Amino acid sequence: MKKIAPAIALAIATFVAICVGSAQIDNFWTALFSPGSNEILWQIRIPRVTAALIVGASLALAGLMAQGACNNALAEPSILGTTAGAALGTVIAVLTGLVQVGSVGAIACGALGALAATSLTFKLANLRSQISSFALIIVGIAVSASLTAIVGLLSAMVTRSDARSISFWNFGSLALTTRDNLVGISITALVGGLIAWKISPSLDRLSLGDATAFHIGIDVPRVRLIALVALSLLAGGAVSTVGSIAFIGLAAPHIARFIYGPIHRNLIVHTAIIGALLVVVADTLSRSVAQPNELPIGLITSLLGAPVLIALVTVKNNIWKTQ
Amino acid sequence: MITINEITIVVDGREIISDYSEQIPAGSITAIVGPNGCGKSTLLAAIAGDIAPTKGTITIDELHPILTFPAHLAQIRAVAIQNQSYTLGYTVKQIIEMAGPADEVMQALELTALADRAVTTLSGGEAQRVSIATAIAQKTPVLLLDEPLAAQDVRSRKRIIEVLRALAEAGVTVVVVAHSNESELTWADKVIKQFL
Repeated sequence: MKKIAPAIALAIATFVAICVGSAQIDNFWTALFSPGSNEILWQIRIPRVTAALIVGASLALAGLMAQGACNNALAEPSILGTTAGAALGTVIAVLTGLVQVGSVGAIACGALGALAATSLTFKLANLRSQISSFALIIVGIAVSASLTAIVGLLSAMVTRSDARSISFWNFGSLALTTRDNLVGISITALVGGLIAWKISPSLDRLSLGDATAFHIGIDVPRVRLIALVALSLLAGGAVSTVGSIAFIGLAAPHIARFIYGPIHRNLIVHTAIIGALLVVVADTLSRSVAQPNELPIGLITSLLGAPVLIALVTVKNNIWKTQ
Repeated sequence: MITINEITIVVDGREIISDYSEQIPAGSITAIVGPNGCGKSTLLAAIAGDIAPTKGTITIDELHPILTFPAHLAQIRAVAIQNQSYTLGYTVKQIIEMAGPADEVMQALELTALADRAVTTLSGGEAQRVSIATAIAQKTPVLLLDEPLAAQDVRSRKRIIEVLRALAEAGVTVVVVAHSNESELTWADKVIKQFL
């Protein structure tokens, strides 16, 4: 029961998310089983909940890739600079007027920005000696802060509504998501998820440390590069469409490990389900608790995710040695 | 046969090994002994293909470890490093199975009772035995072990030596790094003391 609880909770949360909203839907059941019959349900609410599912799964898998590639419990897209890189890549692309937020072009620029920022973090952390967890996290925080500041400056200096606000890039929002946006994030989620599935046995071996992983036949730089490409696709797709949503990449993989153990291939699906669950619940809360206003979803995910981070450090467990 | 041909190894500007040559016979146990910092582990790492000699060559039969793809090299030599640490809570059996079949080697090294224990909960000696078991599970013709007996009790040391002797008699080339105070080296066919 414990093992299928997240999937059941996701099904219930998805249904509640479709039901709940500021506008009442007349004849809900009839509208639900008649595609296109109700504009609010089919043009706004279902695309938004679908986006929440895909974004949640993407960010969660991005976190799993980050932690697996770095062999570090604290690694996640926002700590490695990946999220800020995706936001900067998208903002620059949008400001040039070539792409719009949520388009496939914006997603490509977001993924490229994510890859460049993550590569920069790794390069800087590797300058003095071999990569250490400490150097990676400190450099990642610095890169993330710098890029976030540039995104803020660009957002503040340019008064183009299609470039979105600093609040959008820092805390995320699914409010402006449309059906058209679903295509791009579905592609990045699918491709990123398939890459993650493919390299998951190598990530298990990478957890033994670079030296032992190499001794049992893993090409460590190659596996790490592939994982970073998957991470950038997953995070880039999500962030370029809905902005930065904190803690999903950190919390979802850890929750999945507590329930299902550390084998990465098992974790792919379960981490995606838990990430989707967290974002669907957070999005439902963000548009429900302060009606008619809508809260940034990142505030809710931070409130949900921060206790996980604290528990990771304070609660004794055998899942991940943090000392 | 492992052939070390006039190698020099420099790490962080310090010459660790200088113009050193050696031949390690196949199907035997060779112990490399010496005090801390004399370059024993560096020599083992060079044989394993972890680091490249600054000068000279190392070959395992005709193969240059440093020029070989990791997946191919893992079929030729296996390595148990000193102080293996485990960060994720895989079970002992899951860890060993990442390298090869686990049951036989777990039984040989008395790890069967620990098969379902999370490796993050093991003592130093137990973790070291898991590391040795993982290397043996690769079933390679060359086995390189860095201080495999350092954290073991008397019974475990005896058992590990028995397993290594059996492997050598089956044709495996075993190279073991040991401390100079390793008095009972009678189980080794050859002892390299050039670093003393």
